[in-house]
Amino acid sequence: MTIKTVAIIGDNLIAKELSNSFQENPHVHLVDAKALTEQVDVVIETTNLDKEEKKRRVEEIEASVSPTTLILSTTLGVTATEVASWLYHPERLIGFGTFANFRKGSLIEVALPLQADASYLQAATDTFSFIHQDIEVVEDEVGFVFPRILSMIVNEAAYALSEQTAEAEAIDVAMKKGTNYPMGPLEWANEIGLDDIFAVLSGLYRELGEERYRPAPLIRKLVYAGWIGGETDKCFYHYQNSKNKELSV
Amino acid sequence: MQQIKTVGVIGSGTMGAGIAQLLVQNGYPVILFDIDETTVTRAKEAIESKLDRLVVKERITHATSEKAKKNLGITTDMNSFANCRLVIEAAPERLEIKRSIFSKLEEICSKDSILTSNTSSLSITEISGQSANPERIAGLHFFNPAPIMPLVEVVKGLKTASSTVDTLVQFAQTINKSPVMCKDTPGFIVNRVARPFYNEALRIMNDKIATPSQIDRIMKNAGNFKMGPFELQDLIGIDINFATTKSVYEGFHGESRFRPHYYQERMVQSGSLGRKTKGGFFDYDN
Repeated sequence: MTIKTVAIIGDNLIAKELSNSFQENPHVHLVDAKALTEQVDVVIETTNLDKEEKKRRVEEIEASVSPTTLILSTTLGVTATEVASWLYHPERLIGFGTFANFRKGSLIEVALPLQADASYLQAATDTFSFIHQDIEVVEDEVGFVFPRILSMIVNEAAYALSEQTAEAEAIDVAMKKGTNYPMGPLEWANEIGLDDIFAVLSGLYRELGEERYRPAPLIRKLVYAGWIGGETDKCFYHYQNSKNKELSV
Repeated sequence: MQQIKTVGVIGSGTMGAGIAQLLVQNGYPVILFDIDETTVTRAKEAIESKLDRLVVKERITHATSEKAKKNLGITTDMNSFANCRLVIEAAPERLEIKRSIFSKLEEICSKDSILTSNTSSLSITEISGQSANPERIAGLHFFNPAPIMPLVEVVKGLKTASSTVDTLVQFAQTINKSPVMCKDTPGFIVNRVARPFYNEALRIMNDKIATPSQIDRIMKNAGNFKMGPFELQDLIGIDINFATTKSVYEGFHGESRFRPHYYQERMVQSGSLGRKTKGGFFDYDN
């Protein structure tokens, strides 16, 4: 199957960044979310934080497209197997895991649900090659590899910040200069969007049921406040600055 | 802030020698102490040959190297530290060793001198708990290799004075390091926040979600990390990495986020420790 048309369904930062990337490639046609038809070859769905919302969207997508249309869904906080279970034709669903700043890297992880037909993998590879991303197939588990490990690092940095072990900037500088991280975890979360980090952590906590994955209360509160970084540019640093102001009054 | 001139360094192992080299390269006179004459002499010779190599590689000038060598003194008598305004202890990571060193230093060094430990696994508060003047004792945690890694964690124990911390931050800047201040908590910043990079990777591997080489490739190509968690463990030494995790886990009294992985322990037990044994998660046969 040659992929000509792709639709992106989602209103988070990752959906926006994916749209921007696909639009840069003249060999693929990006169709509007409202214009989903049976002619669309691939649908990319990106809701992460709200599982009910995700389910509703995936069901809506299935109602509009053909039974063999590949659906690529960000399975950061759920397994691909669970998302596939919401479909009448689960075999065409493939999960993928990445963050909104994926353009800084060259690889996106994908996972097949238990119900998958592996022949869809080629279409997934072709789709991501339009935006210059290789794929790496891993087993289906919440958060994949990179999103899971990075989210756990951000979680630890958030615990350290809320315990006032060190200032936000000190934590970021320490990880860059003491162990060569490409970004400090708190500024990294700001760039990605803390909502997606929270989706991974709460998904791991819910699905694996272990204390170790408990999201730091500070992350939970920042998400409630809408201080999730990304386009808002309010996140950990904003929190620290407003705390400091409070203390100096 | 009193002027720091000559710095005393205790312990001529990897960290102590690295710190001594860093300091003399930046113009500070250093007295390097170890209990054994042969050991400390050998450390001095090793530092001198490292300085020579830096000249060959044109990283430092011949003049800087000569001055650095002249500034490097050695001793087996801690009384030589009497005029040091700053002492950096980098002895083995055992509480009783460190406590006995600090009680000697308190007798030898003047009251306005600052005494620091390069410990990565013990608490500064624990080391300084029985001292007469704990306010002048702090952590000064360098990273291996000390002459190269830019970070220094300045650790404030429960009784460390703020002025002590401020002086150490300024001092770190004079040796071209980036100091960060942190409280005396298990693993300080780096060794704590970096735990999931290894622990979660081990978990993912053992749960057969991805192989070590896949995980390394993903962390580098998707996450832009310079090295993956498994090749990095092989480089650091799996035993060293396991010991750090254990110490942070114990420091937090069994907090599950830090729980070491049994598979990593099996690797240590098997003697596959990484590059230094020519095999760890990957083979290094040639």
